[in-house]
Amino acid sequence: MVNITTWARLKSPWVLHFNSGACNGCDIEIVALLTPKYDVERFGIKLEPSPRHADVLLTTGVVTEQCAERLKRIYEQMPQPKFVVAIGACACSGGVFNGNYNVVGGVDKVIPVNAYIPGCPPRPEAIIDGVVKLLGALEASTKEVKPDVKQ
Amino acid sequence: MSNNEIGILSVLEKKLKGKNIQIQPGILGTATIQASPSTLKTVVKAMLDADEKTALTAITGLDLGANIDVLYHVRTSTEFFTIRAEVPKEKPVITTITDLIPGAAFHELEVTDLFGVVFEGHPSPGRLVLPENWPDDVFPLRKDVKASEVKLKPLPAAETPSPEDAKLVKIIIGPQHPALLEPEKFAVTVEGETVRKVEPRIGYVHRGVEKASEGKTYIQGVYLVERICGICNSCHATGYVESVEKILKTQIPARAQYLRTIILELNRLHSHMLTIGHAGLEIGYETLFQYMWRDREPIMDLTELVTGNRVVSSSMTVGGVRRDLKETDIPKIKSTLTDLRKKMPFYRNLYENEISIKMRMQKVGTLSREDAIKLCVVGPVARASGVDIDVRKDVPYEAYGEIPFNMITRKEGDTWARMMVRIDEIEESIKIIEYGLDHLPAGPIRVKVPRVVPAGEAVVRVEAPRGELFYYVKSNGTTMPERVKVRTPTFANIPSFLKTAIGESIADVPANFVSLDPCFSCTDR
Repeated sequence: MVNITTWARLKSPWVLHFNSGACNGCDIEIVALLTPKYDVERFGIKLEPSPRHADVLLTTGVVTEQCAERLKRIYEQMPQPKFVVAIGACACSGGVFNGNYNVVGGVDKVIPVNAYIPGCPPRPEAIIDGVVKLLGALEASTKEVKPDVKQ
Repeated sequence: MSNNEIGILSVLEKKLKGKNIQIQPGILGTATIQASPSTLKTVVKAMLDADEKTALTAITGLDLGANIDVLYHVRTSTEFFTIRAEVPKEKPVITTITDLIPGAAFHELEVTDLFGVVFEGHPSPGRLVLPENWPDDVFPLRKDVKASEVKLKPLPAAETPSPEDAKLVKIIIGPQHPALLEPEKFAVTVEGETVRKVEPRIGYVHRGVEKASEGKTYIQGVYLVERICGICNSCHATGYVESVEKILKTQIPARAQYLRTIILELNRLHSHMLTIGHAGLEIGYETLFQYMWRDREPIMDLTELVTGNRVVSSSMTVGGVRRDLKETDIPKIKSTLTDLRKKMPFYRNLYENEISIKMRMQKVGTLSREDAIKLCVVGPVARASGVDIDVRKDVPYEAYGEIPFNMITRKEGDTWARMMVRIDEIEESIKIIEYGLDHLPAGPIRVKVPRVVPAGEAVVRVEAPRGELFYYVKSNGTTMPERVKVRTPTFANIPSFLKTAIGESIADVPANFVSLDPCFSCTDR
């Protein structure tokens, strides 16, 4: 069973996109990923509207005070194992908005982040590269864990 | 149409004579009208009587130390006025003008949030852009507030829905919702399937850009305001640099004006195509979305070719543009635009004849011309309701005065008309870019400007893809601005959705909403 779920997760990660205070620059690049030119569905990546069905959370933008609680809630709603990708300079570190009132900072101030994709905004190729690298790391880590280990 | 420049100004002078109201022509638009809290309504009323298309563009607050200056920026058919009224900081109270201009509601709430000015008689007071747990006595845009020292209150307990009426059900859309790319919340109260009430909760993307730009130099400010919105970033940059150039009294080279125009129109092209596709997605027509976004990619490539970046172009700077267009690139741009022109009839035909699009969009979210003016809507939303406003035509900036193009208006005022306006504007944008490329003047692309900007203030309006974008910049003679105010088109357009959604089916909400081309990162700043 473990092998099947790992295989399914690697071959078809379902991603959830959440904007916690972005300028739309990264967001339209994520949407562009789904469209014919970049077409990430060929890697099995599917955009999923519900956090309860998602494996990977793609976050964009700084975290504003009003969004922080919501971001945490979405993260907690996702089933284990879950991965977070911070897309864009703002999500990575706060970017130009760091230090403003009503801004908490980068996504890692609120939830743990597995991969950072810098850029303002990162090109769609960079986002694909980041997600595929995350999957590679995931594959390597699942190989280390023996399925029959009892915890 | 009704009054020309001298006309409306003299009408106002006649009406306001002997009421202790000074009119200073030529400052902040056609004229600045110095009023007081008590005479404010008289002035607004006089303006409404003088021109039927009078609408509020923005309300700016200014911290003057002991007083708070409230600036009402009002547009008429062809003119632009600023009405100033000062209120003391100890007791900042002023009467609301929402009874005269219903579209002022959001603007007033924003000034309350950021400056603590209370608008007496406001129909729906409450938080607009700041979070619910923001301290009650801290007003972030006042000069004595330090951004890093604000401590938020604990989060309020989740409200329990009040059982007002057993027939009504409250449906919460957002802040995380598949139909919204951005986090905002709309509480839609429905009776059966009919929408009875829409309560917006915006402010999820409020990043305090206006305050932050007060601590940045004019050059840094350009990069900051560009990041208010990734989609119409060039428009924001243009609004900001034009304001600074106005204070500096700098004339930028003709080639820079043309290059800016070309970049702005590329911005409009990709933004309109994005919406036309997105509308397809919202009505469950995903093929249209995929096709449109496929055809949008060449425009992104052109933006990259011209500016060096796909999305945030960073090409505007105070005094001109940062990057010249290569002569060898022009044929490539032209051929891409020709390709797009060939593809557009397909989409036009789809919107005009495809039965599912017509059923989902026609007679949905109809906004009458009167309501469009009253609610102060801008851009394609206003033009689809027959209000002929377009800053590019009304107050030509950059090279728009020299380039022939048509203003697209429609009479229907429904969701479908708003999309059709955008489809037709794509053709006009292509024409503008082609004309610009053909008539591109030779010469330098920027002039050197001093880093220290003399004291002064300026207002600039730019026609962003979503409508009139407003910038107010005040400088105090240093390298950093004293106040930057941005009023974005979506901020002005949301009230129309709150009105048109009432009485329609809940299933029509997404299509109606996306036809405004909402951009919340703009709205909240």
